[in-house]
Amino acid sequence: MVKLYCLSILYKGPSQATWLKSAFELQSFSFFQRGSVQEFMSFFCKTIVERTIPGSRQSVKEGEYMCHVYVRADNLAGVVISDHEYPSRVSHTLITKILDEFSEKVPKANWPNLQERDVAFPQLQTYLTKYQNPREADAMTKIQEDLDETKIILHNTIQAVLERGEKLDDLVSKSEGLSVASKAFYKTARKTNSCCSFS
Amino acid sequence: MLPRRRRAGSETEPLIVVGNESYWSQPQPQTLQDLNSTYANDVPADHYLEEDYIDDFIDPEPVMTARDRTSEFINTIQTLQGRSIARAVAVRDPRRSKVIQSHSEFMLVARNIGKNIASTYAKLEKLTLLAKRKSLFDDRTTEIQELTYIIKGDLSSLNQQIAQLQDISKRQRQSSNGKHLQSHSSSVVLALQSKLATMSTDFKQILEVRTENLRHQKSRRDQFSQGGLPPPTVASNPKGSLLYQDQDQVSINLESTELIPKQQSQMQAALMYDETDNYLQSRAETMQNIESTIVELGGIFQQLAHMVKEQEELVERIDTNVQDAELNIEAAHAQIVKYFRSISSNRWLMIKIFGVLIFFFIFFVVFLT
Repeated sequence: MVKLYCLSILYKGPSQATWLKSAFELQSFSFFQRGSVQEFMSFFCKTIVERTIPGSRQSVKEGEYMCHVYVRADNLAGVVISDHEYPSRVSHTLITKILDEFSEKVPKANWPNLQERDVAFPQLQTYLTKYQNPREADAMTKIQEDLDETKIILHNTIQAVLERGEKLDDLVSKSEGLSVASKAFYKTARKTNSCCSFS
Repeated sequence: MLPRRRRAGSETEPLIVVGNESYWSQPQPQTLQDLNSTYANDVPADHYLEEDYIDDFIDPEPVMTARDRTSEFINTIQTLQGRSIARAVAVRDPRRSKVIQSHSEFMLVARNIGKNIASTYAKLEKLTLLAKRKSLFDDRTTEIQELTYIIKGDLSSLNQQIAQLQDISKRQRQSSNGKHLQSHSSSVVLALQSKLATMSTDFKQILEVRTENLRHQKSRRDQFSQGGLPPPTVASNPKGSLLYQDQDQVSINLESTELIPKQQSQMQAALMYDETDNYLQSRAETMQNIESTIVELGGIFQQLAHMVKEQEELVERIDTNVQDAELNIEAAHAQIVKYFRSISSNRWLMIKIFGVLIFFFIFFVVFLT
């Protein structure tokens, strides 16, 4: 079951990473575990951003989670923590998208100094919920799904057309029989008429 | 001036070659009588004799710069044509002698090819030995490449020669050889071809082994060169600690501890960088998939349209049939209606006729009684 757990944006400073914004989706964990899980995830995000070279992407497998991180050249980093089945391409697309939006919204100068409270970026949460289902959210996967659906429908259509062909064949033969029978009927009628008088 | 040498041997004059050797080697003039007796064929003896005499008179050189190699020449010609000539002579039939000669030339070519095959095989074995070496260094690439090139050229030339041999055998077949000779030549050609085929398959196998070895070597070299980054530092460390004494050891240790994580991170960096490529590659792949799906869909649509168009014809046929049936039924209906009318009108007439008959019957009965 594909699932996104955490989506966060960090700034990779020269010595450490600073949190800019994050969104968590921890409904699958029991209530008491949520705090520790959240802490663990944030620590993990921070560590991995510090370890990544700017201008590169990385996908790290950790326990039962996959962590996808993308650090841009201007040291803005996005992290997505998901389970193993979530396609990595989609997560990287998602990261790129939110980083672009974030950099548009929040001016660049503020990044090293921001506190998490100050940043207003609610889209993060909406994206998190939207991308829970990667098939619908990601444009490319969506197109692929639609195309596959269309292909199936077309296959069914062709099947139906073939059946129609068979039925038409049937009708053709029946109508031919009808035509022949009617002709015979006409001939017989004409014969009885012309042959002899009432006897 | 070199003394002119007559062609001593020819197909039609075997006896001369065999018989006159001793006479030819002597430069002294002979009695016409003796020479005449030896020339048993149509060539005039004087012809030969005069020339030699002239030669002897024209070249009275005190120093003989030219060697008299007639005997060698005669010997060579003998060996070249000896066997075939002897057998042809033995048969004494011009046609069969020709056949035997062509067969012998076929045999010569076949023997040549066999020799070439043997030498190429030896080269192939040498190449096998060279290619099987698995050491990382001491790689005799140039030798192997040279040998490969030579063997390739040999194989192609052998191929051509065998094709020529086949042509010769075909030509001989047309000149009505005996059946045994034909089958023999064809089996010889077949054997040579099969030998060539086995050699080429061996060659191919050797090349495959060589590429495998090259790949192994490359992977091992990569392993060693990747892991080679820490070992040099480790190697240099004991040297450093030996060379430099205690006061420098601390600094060197710090340096070494710092170097290794950086190299590890560099290695990790080398590993990490692939990710972007992977991501981009997967995107490109997805796009290609989508494109191919769309193309497929287009094809399916076209097929669908085609099928529907074909079925349109069937529909037309049904239409025509049903119309025909309707026409027929209308006509038949009209006929029957007419008939019915005629029948009903007939009955009317019947009634009238019967009525008249009954009237007359009654009239006659009444009036007669």
